[in-house]
Amino acid sequence: MKNQIIMYLKNSVLMCLILIASTSLQAAELKKAEADLVTPALKLEDIKGEILDLKDLQGKVVLVQFWATYCTPCRVEMPSMNNLIKKLEVSKTPFKIIAVNMGETKEEIQKFIDEVKPEFTVLMDSKGENVQAWNVFAAPSNFVIDTKGKIRYTLYGGVEWDSESITKAIQDLALEDSSENKS
Amino acid sequence: MNQGFLYFRYVFFVCGLFFLSFNSYASNQIKTITTSDDSEIDVRIFSAKGEKLLIGFACDQGKSIAEEKTAQVLANDGIEVWMPDMLTAYMLPKVRSSLSDIPIEDLTKIIEEAKKTKKQIYLVASGADTELVLRAVAEWEKLHVGSDNLLGGAILMFPRLNKSKPEPGKPPEYQDAVGKTKLPLMVLEGERTPNRWGLGHLVNSLKKGGSTVYAKLIPNVRGYFFKRKDPNTPEDLVTSQMSGLIKASLFFLGKAHK
Repeated sequence: MKNQIIMYLKNSVLMCLILIASTSLQAAELKKAEADLVTPALKLEDIKGEILDLKDLQGKVVLVQFWATYCTPCRVEMPSMNNLIKKLEVSKTPFKIIAVNMGETKEEIQKFIDEVKPEFTVLMDSKGENVQAWNVFAAPSNFVIDTKGKIRYTLYGGVEWDSESITKAIQDLALEDSSENKS
Repeated sequence: MNQGFLYFRYVFFVCGLFFLSFNSYASNQIKTITTSDDSEIDVRIFSAKGEKLLIGFACDQGKSIAEEKTAQVLANDGIEVWMPDMLTAYMLPKVRSSLSDIPIEDLTKIIEEAKKTKKQIYLVASGADTELVLRAVAEWEKLHVGSDNLLGGAILMFPRLNKSKPEPGKPPEYQDAVGKTKLPLMVLEGERTPNRWGLGHLVNSLKKGGSTVYAKLIPNVRGYFFKRKDPNTPEDLVTSQMSGLIKASLFFLGKAHK
């Protein structure tokens, strides 16, 4: 019984700490990718049947996102991804978003697109082969790829993509390439 | 006078119906197990005459409506169900970190008690609670090497066994309890959850302990489908048929155990 009371007190303190922590929003942040993280191939059809190959996008910073219609954070963050595109267009940053759906049907994806209206390319990975190849086990899973096709950042979870820090990180990646070209 | 009598009879009838429905899924009895450190664990028991006993680690006393209903149906079909309330026993909040505070010897004590019934024992848990089951079984096997084992297998429903937050591009790292048991395991996962893509990886990790591992995807349902406040039609359907899902799982586990 004494042990139970001690444990109760310990957990009351823990609950208070959790309550305090939960009142402030903890935003997910870009995480620098490990140097040996290889970029897998990515060649898939979009919703209109056109094929997109990641390797054709070299020269641009690319955000590859793996998502699903049943993933609530995916739905919530997509407007901020639209905003990010607009912000980077203003700064003339070469940038593209590719959102790879994780194994759902064309009908499910189309319904989601009609509701959420993403202004970027949505690819269909109906068999989940790319999900497996990219070692994705949760949604949303994000990879930020530099202009040479190397994964530079990863991010798991929902985030406000049009935040100052993320916008700057992408602009800096694009500038890396242009400054190397000048030198 | 007559009206008053009728009113009283009506109220009595409605109250009767209320209590009848309230008790329709109540356990047959509550068994209190006292552990070595004098903690008391209440176990809801749905008695049955069959030879199988299912221990369900439902950690939300009073809220596990779907589990209770399933337990009652299973008991009606001859499978005895025990539902220990681990969190209340230690006055723990229902958060994931609480699981690590549950002493392992208390989990094996429950299995020890169940063993006295001489029935074939199976375990079931869902989500993060599956770690409890794996931990308890691994410890049980350590303590009972070579002995006649009444443990028949465990059902892991949409197990959430990651050690930390997923990292895109990296295979998941699992809790230490993964891959430590030889017990036959059945993993059930919802089709509409990103975790389905990690199922193969998890199965291979579970097999490292020597287990025969079965894995089934349940079509059109999300993870934690029977605890959701916004269930869709397939989720409602699967929840209502959960006892069938468990019986099918026990059939497979029974085959592996032989």
